[in-house]
Amino acid sequence: MSIWGTGIVKGLGITIRNMFRKPITVQYPHEKLELPERARWTVEPSYDGEGNIKCTGCLTCVRVCPDHVLDMKLTVGEDKSKHIDYFRYECGACMMCGLCTEACPFDAIHMSHDYELARTSADELTYNLLEDIDAARPARKAAEPKPKPAGGADEKPDGAPAAEATETAPAPDTEAKEAQDA
Amino acid sequence: MTIDPRTDVPPAGEMLGDTHCPVPDTLPVGLDHVPTGVDREQAEHLIVNFGPQHPSMHGVLRILGELDGEEMISGEVNIGYLHRGIEKLAESRRYDQVGTLLDRGDYIAGIHGELAFAMATEQLAEIEVPERALWIRTLVGEITRISSHLLWYGPMGLDAGAMGQFLYAVRDREMLLDILEAITGARMMFNYIRPGGVLRDLPAGIERKILEFLDHFEKMLPEHDDLLGGNEIFQLRTKGVGVIDRDKALAYSLTGANLRASGVSWDLRKDRPYAAYDKVEFDVPISNEGDIYSRYLVRMEEMRQSVRIIRQVLDGMPEGPHTAKVAKVLRPPAGEAYAAVEAPRGEWGIHIISNGSDNPARMRYRPPAFYALQVVEDLIPGTLLADMIVVAGSMDIVLGEIDR
Repeated sequence: MSIWGTGIVKGLGITIRNMFRKPITVQYPHEKLELPERARWTVEPSYDGEGNIKCTGCLTCVRVCPDHVLDMKLTVGEDKSKHIDYFRYECGACMMCGLCTEACPFDAIHMSHDYELARTSADELTYNLLEDIDAARPARKAAEPKPKPAGGADEKPDGAPAAEATETAPAPDTEAKEAQDA
Repeated sequence: MTIDPRTDVPPAGEMLGDTHCPVPDTLPVGLDHVPTGVDREQAEHLIVNFGPQHPSMHGVLRILGELDGEEMISGEVNIGYLHRGIEKLAESRRYDQVGTLLDRGDYIAGIHGELAFAMATEQLAEIEVPERALWIRTLVGEITRISSHLLWYGPMGLDAGAMGQFLYAVRDREMLLDILEAITGARMMFNYIRPGGVLRDLPAGIERKILEFLDHFEKMLPEHDDLLGGNEIFQLRTKGVGVIDRDKALAYSLTGANLRASGVSWDLRKDRPYAAYDKVEFDVPISNEGDIYSRYLVRMEEMRQSVRIIRQVLDGMPEGPHTAKVAKVLRPPAGEAYAAVEAPRGEWGIHIISNGSDNPARMRYRPPAFYALQVVEDLIPGTLLADMIVVAGSMDIVLGEIDR
């Protein structure tokens, strides 16, 4: 049994030792830490190489969202082409679980790294992700590889190149259609 | 006659009469009876409402204490302030969506809730989980265990009047949360473990990051130990206080570190191995005293064992797929399944009844802290007011999992 009080003195020693260690504090608004690649924050629409949306208006994400924060209104034309009237995202109620992006068969949405979500009113946290835009056409059945199964296990790093390859295919179609419409 | 306290100051003698701390005719909200020992005529006991919103209370727990001087006569624990209906909500969620709810049960160690649910679903649907997924589950489970124990160790000292260790505990926990964020994508609400495996494979370069942490943490653990456990004041506050003997621990069906501190060697990782725990070597620390200090010792030793497990897991991580082939919408056949994991707070069990549809017909979970909280009510009588919160804190309660 040591003398009473040595533990307290030892603790003080540790405190002093920590005083001379490098501080780990980050002066937040001035310096920011880099988020890991997988960090999930708000939902954002993805675009292909030519700046076209990838969303085909299949509504999978709207159905899969546990909190019902996604809302999409579609107008289906006579030639079955879809027009997205709005794709609304209630970010304030979103829990960033990432189920929508996992479910999306076309990688048309992704989780962004936008974590500074303080707003002065709740309305500002309802985003219009897409508004009044023609939906991309899904790739033709023949060209499309089988959608990856596995309960939400589609891994983006491996799956992304393949999906992109199929997704760029319909883009010219859409453009052509848009040109016609105009 | 109404008394205006600003003008009608009664003479000193009358202070002890009717006006002195009367038991109110209407009881405080939540108290349905006058606690035993309160004499309406004498009214010597004081009823103190502690929580639910109190900076030194663990979560939104409310304790209605009855005090005789500084000694607690009784304490009535009120829960339910964080009730979100997790079990009912699970009935309207698909099997792959329930994990998001269970993260918010025990929000300090959400991985274990997800893991138990995934294991129960795999039992129901008879899914074979690939080896690598099991090892990844073990890895994230142990990382979460250390971070959870650190968040017990820090506030534990705060309860007992120490401050510094909390900052150092949070410093180390931050590194673990960064690692978890890199693996799962979120710091606390992971949504990572799915029926059939895990969501994604480990990111490149994470092993180096984990090893860096382990090297740092192995140096820091003795410091943590000296800072709090070695402190004589902390020892005086905790040794022999809040003693749960072996029989009481078993009678209250305590699990986890609380049970092992009472001298019962029961650890699901050893006794009913799941994930890859049967392939790694570790010891189950136990202590016989059953007081707060032995709970402290057991948890600190558990962190050391977790470091040991993580090193072995990193060495032995097999190659292969990280998830089994599972249907996008799971519809397990009708039946029941129960799976339990050794969460940082004890046995976290999930019981699912399936009726063959794509959401569970009923899901119930066994929150280990709920059982630990019941002992608190038993331990409170006879302790000092200042010790009451140390006793409650030593059980490592998380109100998220208790209130669901």
